[in-house]
This record gives sequence, structure tokens and C-alpha cells, in this order.
Amino acid sequence: MRQLLPALLFLFLLPDGLRAASPELIRQSLVRIQTVSQDPDYVTPWNTGTIGQGIGAGFVISGNRILTNAHVVSNARKIWITREGDPNRYVAKILHIAHDSDLAVLRPLNTEFFKGMRALEFNGLPEIESTVMVYGYPIGGDRASVTRGIVSRVDFQEYSHSGADSHLVIQIDAAINPGNSGGPVVQDGKVVGVAFQGYSGDVAQNTGYMIPTPVIKRFLKDIEDGHYDHYVDLAITTFPLYNPAARHALGLPDDGQGVMVSSVYGGGSSDGIVKPRDVILSIDGHAVASDGSVQMEGSNVELAEIIERKFKGDTAKLEVIRDGKPLTLSVPLTSPFPFNIYANAYDVKPRYVVFAGLIFQPLDQNFVTDNQLGNSRTSYTFTHFLQDALYKDRPELVILSRILSDPVNAYAAEFQQAMVDTINGRKINTLDDVAQAFAEPAKTYVIEFVGAGRPLVLEAKAVAAARARILSRYGVGRESNLKP
Amino acid sequence: MIARRTFLFLALAVGLSNRLPAESAPAVAADPAKVAASLPMADSLVRVNSTDQPYNFDKPWSKRPPFTRRGIGVVIDGGKILVSAELIANHSYVELERPASSGKMGADVERVDYDSNLAILQPQDPAFLAGTRPIKLAASVPVGAKVNVVQLESNGAVALTPGVVTTVTVSGYPADGIALLAYKLSTPLQYRDNSFTMPVLSGDKLAGLLMRYDTRSQSAEVVPGPVIQNFLTRAARQPYVDFPRAGISFSPTRDPQFRHYLGLAPGQSGVYLVSVAHGSAAEKAGLKKGDVILRVGDSDIDEDGNYLHPEYGKIPFSYLISTAGLPGDKLPIRVLRGGKETTIDLPLEPRDPASVVSESAILDRAPRYYVLGGLVFQELSRSYLREWGADWRSNAPARLVYLDEFQDELPPDQGKIVFLSQVLPADTTLGYEDVDPTVVEKINDRPIHRLEDIAEAVQHPLKGFHKVELESDPGVLYLNADDVEKSSQDLRDSYGLPAIQNLDDPATKFAP
Repeated sequence: MRQLLPALLFLFLLPDGLRAASPELIRQSLVRIQTVSQDPDYVTPWNTGTIGQGIGAGFVISGNRILTNAHVVSNARKIWITREGDPNRYVAKILHIAHDSDLAVLRPLNTEFFKGMRALEFNGLPEIESTVMVYGYPIGGDRASVTRGIVSRVDFQEYSHSGADSHLVIQIDAAINPGNSGGPVVQDGKVVGVAFQGYSGDVAQNTGYMIPTPVIKRFLKDIEDGHYDHYVDLAITTFPLYNPAARHALGLPDDGQGVMVSSVYGGGSSDGIVKPRDVILSIDGHAVASDGSVQMEGSNVELAEIIERKFKGDTAKLEVIRDGKPLTLSVPLTSPFPFNIYANAYDVKPRYVVFAGLIFQPLDQNFVTDNQLGNSRTSYTFTHFLQDALYKDRPELVILSRILSDPVNAYAAEFQQAMVDTINGRKINTLDDVAQAFAEPAKTYVIEFVGAGRPLVLEAKAVAAARARILSRYGVGRESNLKP
Repeated sequence: MIARRTFLFLALAVGLSNRLPAESAPAVAADPAKVAASLPMADSLVRVNSTDQPYNFDKPWSKRPPFTRRGIGVVIDGGKILVSAELIANHSYVELERPASSGKMGADVERVDYDSNLAILQPQDPAFLAGTRPIKLAASVPVGAKVNVVQLESNGAVALTPGVVTTVTVSGYPADGIALLAYKLSTPLQYRDNSFTMPVLSGDKLAGLLMRYDTRSQSAEVVPGPVIQNFLTRAARQPYVDFPRAGISFSPTRDPQFRHYLGLAPGQSGVYLVSVAHGSAAEKAGLKKGDVILRVGDSDIDEDGNYLHPEYGKIPFSYLISTAGLPGDKLPIRVLRGGKETTIDLPLEPRDPASVVSESAILDRAPRYYVLGGLVFQELSRSYLREWGADWRSNAPARLVYLDEFQDELPPDQGKIVFLSQVLPADTTLGYEDVDPTVVEKINDRPIHRLEDIAEAVQHPLKGFHKVELESDPGVLYLNADDVEKSSQDLRDSYGLPAIQNLDDPATKFAP
């Protein structure tokens, strides 16, 4: 059985003075979460994928809900929760899940579960050096466990569950172990974070991370309207303005204020509103320093932290200097498409089309995780999809991912991992286009790949003759799946 | 930022020269059975010691530490010596030595051809070769022929290792992007002194020069007589012209479904042209992507691109373009285009160096660069990318690797790729230190296609500033034009730059 914590471990410390409170907290608020999950298979996408089990932690919060990490319950087929001193297993379901901030709320089908349980309350950011305790079900035993640590630092870091989002984290020095995931990190009887990731011992010692309450509170507020919206983003990059020549050329005084916009991602919130070379002087009234930092709640944070607290539909007010003139911009914040191409996706099925033994799949992070990208053009296009705004030309990159060898495709090997450009003249923008192109009756199917010198030609007769043979030989249960 | 030194040819070669630096190797005790100082070929051999010093493309104003390579040259007609080009690449000094005497003599490089890995040396005093005997070239050597690889013991005795020609084929040479005829040998070579260039003899004639050797498989590749003959013929002409190249790439037509699509009749064979390079001989002649090449000269082309050579058997037709003819010749190409056959005369001519965006190897000349107030600009080349180490394809900036790899797809008027290669911290570049290597698009609103464009653009600052526009983040850098002017002496002093720029034109730089 797998104890959950993504590539990382979590743990907590117990100050003597608080020891008396612990058993009560464990009895009244801590929840053990057991899951059966099924991870999709992007190599043979028609297969069902690996079934595994996992253990994580959670805790009771207001409204008869249980808070845990998204990664504890991602891809779960079955979720059971148990509480201390109760032999029953309760089936739970996911109410809301946020893969970008690795949080989820669950509810047992039988609310009897909450009898005698107490919802935990949240506190703010704990002081550096202050002591916290971590509760959970880490490896090393079956019963609840408590560990102790101090707050090492507050930082802005990648959340490895999605692999594409960065938010505030708090590092604590407690040893961290699989099974701590989703457990509460507590100070003075109140939750100051959710243990979620760390490093294995051969990378770094005593380095564990928790999701701090600003991120948790944002998640709980976001779902108040009954559904979770993604984090919003300005979708710009900025460059510090230390250089005197740059400051003078942009018409700025030497006052250490203002950061230059270096790029604006097409399709993002700021597209068409903010321009490269705008100098941002303030955001929502917070002055922006020349290194891109702002003062918020008494501490120095990155400009992005202002946006972190906002929701879909909110706006950000920017004061900028453009071409030497002051300007006030209002940016309506949206969920960032197509930025999620680099995010690990969960609870989705692999999409694919098999035709003449050729497997066509869209290129996304899940595919890249399971398959090595050996084709340098495809690999470059994937890594620069966002930066070079390639999605404008083609919202989805479809590649010939693999070949199920058969006489009909005996000369197709050179096209492996190449990106499909057109099929019988139809431009391929999504996997659906591939399915439709092959569904059209034709004598031959002429597939052009991006950058390939010659087309791949398949004769419909030969494809039809090979169809049953390929499906049975390779055990392909379904020829396509177009729904995630 | 940049890893260890790599040298183009050394990186590609396997075996002896790679494993053991020539200067440090002890001589292996002579095997009397195989050694005979009195062998007639001894009079045709000269030791060649070349002190080489490659340029550092990471610090384009400097050379790397010198090292010495030793090889064996063969005396050819006209008081000249033939060696492999690899031996003398980036040479600072070349020295000749007679095998059995102590006399030494400096040599000049008369001609070098990196495509075919061949070079001609000339002793500074012709008297040095008195008493030597020029070797004759063996026109061609068939598969199965027995040959001898020549080495020299430290006492000057000749050591012969027998070998058998296993294959004659067209194979990739150390220089990128060219494939020429090569013999493959099976031979149990041992390491000896002077192993960087080894002549291969057929009887008492020169069959070729050893180019690569793999100790594990005991196989070797040889620059063969026909390639040497072609080189010598061109070297005797003025002006010197490189090996002809067509500038095409093709795809086989084995796939029956593809053959039907192309309208190839049963029994009809040829290859499908997938690209024609900008400015190439093929483009000028009118060959087009999508043409099917059926016949080259008098030879039918099979579906893999081979033809039947009377002596070597099936070899790629590129031999007919590169080696069988000479520059200036015309080669009729029979193509199938739009269902109709037509003949196109392909002029045999070398690639126009000006058409190359990113050079695959810059040898014997200093890298070009331009330092503007601490921003270092260079033109993209494979030599620069290789400075990122053996794994340069993954370690070097991805955008630059991509532009190098797919340079044929750039517009014909691309010129060079000028990029910001590094930032020398200085007052002028405060805050720019962490900018990653990135392509330069414009300076002072003027498009930049070569380094000379920078020199011109900085004559026209905008309101007292130089505006440097970059392809990726941060998108733009500003420099104060007056400060840049003042900074150049400071930069030279503090970083030890011999010059603030090197705009030497490659076309005029190295012309021995």
C-alpha cells in the first residue's frame, strides 16, 4: 500500500506545552483517508492503467467537510475515510478539487461520521522560528502520528502535483514521510497549513513544505459559489529595472520604483491591455519596486502574490508608464488558457486515435511524463508552445506517437513522434480533426507531418484489410477515445 | 556557463586518436617480423608534428592552450606532403621530421580541405625532401583487396599492419553535412607513435589515409584514392574550388503505397526530393521538392538512392555529384515531375559559403564578435554550440540549437543569426548580468542580420541611447551611448580583451 505524498515527505513537531491537546485533536478532527486509484496509461492508451492504493490524511473543517490534498484523492476510484476509535470505514466523495493548489474537500456519504468530531479553525501565517505540529498517518505504523518542527521560511514555490503552478509555501524542518499528505499543521490549536510535499532524504534533510492558510482560504472562498475556478494570472513576465540607462530611456527617475513588462502572453488576461515595455509602477495601489516586489501586510512579496489572492472575474488595476506617459490599466483576470498544457492532469482518460496501426495522441504534460520525446522538432515545439505563442496557429499538437507494426505501416517509422500537419488537405488543430479526417471516405489518406519532407500515404483498401488484424494482434480494445 | 573543450573532429572520431593523446604515448616495442627500415615506402614517409590551438568560442577573443598531434605524411609529386586535415586543424606551427634522421623543418599549409579531411603541406626548404620518393596513388581498390596500414616506430622503422577492404561505400566524413566515398577496413591496429594520420598502402601505392579507427571492432575507415585524386586535381587548379554539392535531401521510395501515390510504374525506381537548399546548385538548376530523381548521368537510381558502380557495387548517387566529376561539369538529372519525365542539367559547384546561416565548423580563423558596452554579440555557429560540452544539444540554449538544426527552413535572406552570447558585468550593463543568450532582432530600430549591421547601427543612437531588441525576455536592453563609448577601454583593461570587436570577413581570412 502506498502512502501518499508527492515526491516529497511531510512531518511535524510537538512542543511540550501542547502535548495535552494532541490526543484530543487526533480523536476529534484527524481523518485517515484510504484510496484505490487508477493511473491512466499514455503509452498504451486503450489499456485501463495501473490500480494502486494509498493512504493520506485529512481533517474536519466547517460545514461537515474534510480538507485534504488534491493528490491524495486524484485518480481515485474509491475513497474511504476512518476516524480514530471508530472501526467503521466510511465511503467519501470529492466535493471540490483544485489541482493547481493541491487541495480538495471531501464529504462522507454518511454524515454520522461527524458525530463527536470537531471542525478545526484556521490561523494566519505562523512566525519564522515558531513551533508547529504535523498530524497524519505516515509510514512506520498504522496509528495516527504527531511530529514537531519549526517554521523555517516562507517562500513562493512550485506545487509538484500540477507541476505548473507556483504559490506561497511554508517550509518546516520536521522530517517528512509519505502518508503525512493532507494532514493539518497546527499551532496553538489552530491550523496554519496542510502538509503536502517535501524532499526524499537523499536530496535534502528535514525539508518539508505545507500549504499556508492564505492559499487554503482562497480555495475555500473560491468554492463558496459551488464550483472551483482556476487561479488567475496576469500572464506577463517582467524584468527588473536597475539599469540607469534603461530607466532614463523609459523616462523614469532614479527612485528604485517600477518594473518593465518583458512579455505578454497571447490569450492571457493581459493580452491586448498590457504591452511589452510598459513599466508597472503600482498594482492595486501597492507600489512596485524596481525588482518587481511589492509591500503587502508588512512583508516584501512578489508582484504575483497580489494576483494570487484574486478570483476569476476580479480585475487588477495597474499604473504604468507607456512611451513616457502615465496610464491606468484595468485587467480583468481570467483562467489561463493554454497554460495548462504543462500541468499534470488528473481524473482524465488518455485521448487517442488508432488508424492503420498508427497511434495519434495530443501532446500534453501527461503524455510527456509517460513517453520520452526523442524528436527534436516536436520537443522544441512543446517546450516553446507558450513562449513562441505557437498555440495561436494550432491549439493542440497531435503527434504520431507510436506504430503498431504491420505491413500497412511498414514505412512509417520515420514519422514517429512527428506532429501532424494535414490529413487529405484538412489542417489538424485538435485530435478530433484527426478522427474526422479518417472518418471521411477516401481512396487514399495523405498525411503531411510538420517538417517532414514527404507525406505518409495510406490506401484505404490496405487500411481496411489491416484493421481487424492489428486490433486483435495488439489487443487494442477501442480504436479511439476522444473524451478526456 | 560553458563546459569543457570539444574539438570537432576529435569528438567524432573513435578509437586510437581519441583514446590516447599523441604526444604522451610511449612507443610500442617493434616487432622485428613486421619492421623493415629498408622497405621501399620508407622513402615516401615524413613525420608531421602539428601544434594546434583551437579558438575559444565562449571567449571569442582568445585561443585555447596549444597541444601537439603527430602523424605520418606521405610525399607526393611536386615536393609536397599529403596529410589528413584533422592533423593540422587550427595549427599554430607545423613541423616535419624525416623518420630516420634528426633533421626537422617547418612547413606551410598549402591547401586544406576539411570536407575530405585532406591537406597538402610544403616544407619551408624544398631541400628537406631530397632523397625522398613521391608515392603513386592507387586509383581504386576493390572489396576484398589486401592493404597495409603504415606506422612508424620511434626509431623510424616502418611497421605494417595488414588489413582487408570489407566495404566501399559513401559515408559521413568528420565535417558535418558531407558524405564521400570511404573504404572500410578490418585491421588489427596497435597504437604506435605518430598515429594521427596513417597512410594505407595497396602494394607500393597509396590506397588512402586512415580517418577513423575503432579498437573494439578493429575496423577502420579510410579516405580513399578517388577522393584524394579529386582533391589533388582541384588543388592544382586556380582558383581552388571545394567539393561540389547539390544541396538536396531525399527520401527512399520503397513504400508501395507511396510509389502508387507518386505514379511510379512497376520497375521504375528513384528517390523523392524532400528539400532543395536555398542558393544551392540544385535550386539554380530548377530541381524542386517533390521531384523524383530517376537517373543521374548514365546511371539508374534505385529506390534507396544507390546506383551500380562498376567496381564498388551499389553506392549512393551523391558520389556522382561530389567525386566522380569536377566543379564546372554538368550532370544531367532525369526526374519525374507531375507524371512527366524531364531532364535537368545540374551544374557541379560547391556550396556558396554566404548561403550558410550557421557554420558547422569554424577552423583556422578567429570567431567574429562585437562587444557593445559589455554586451557580447556573436554569429551563431555549431562551433559555438559545441562549447556547451558533449551534451550541447540539450545543454545549449534550446532556441539556438533549434535555429542551427533547422537553418535550412529560414528565409533565404536570413543572413546570419546574431545573438547576445554573454554579458560582461560593467557599469553599462548593470542589471543585465542574468540575461540568457538570445537572438538579437534590431539595434536602434535597424534589423541585424550580421555583425557588421551592429557596427553600422551603433552609429545611429536613438536620443542618446542604444536600443537593443531581443527575440525573447527581456525583449529590450538600453545602453547609454556616451557611456558605451567611454566603457570600451575599461572593458578591454578589466577583461583583457585584445580588441572590442573582430569583424574579419571569413572569405578573406584564410586563403593559403
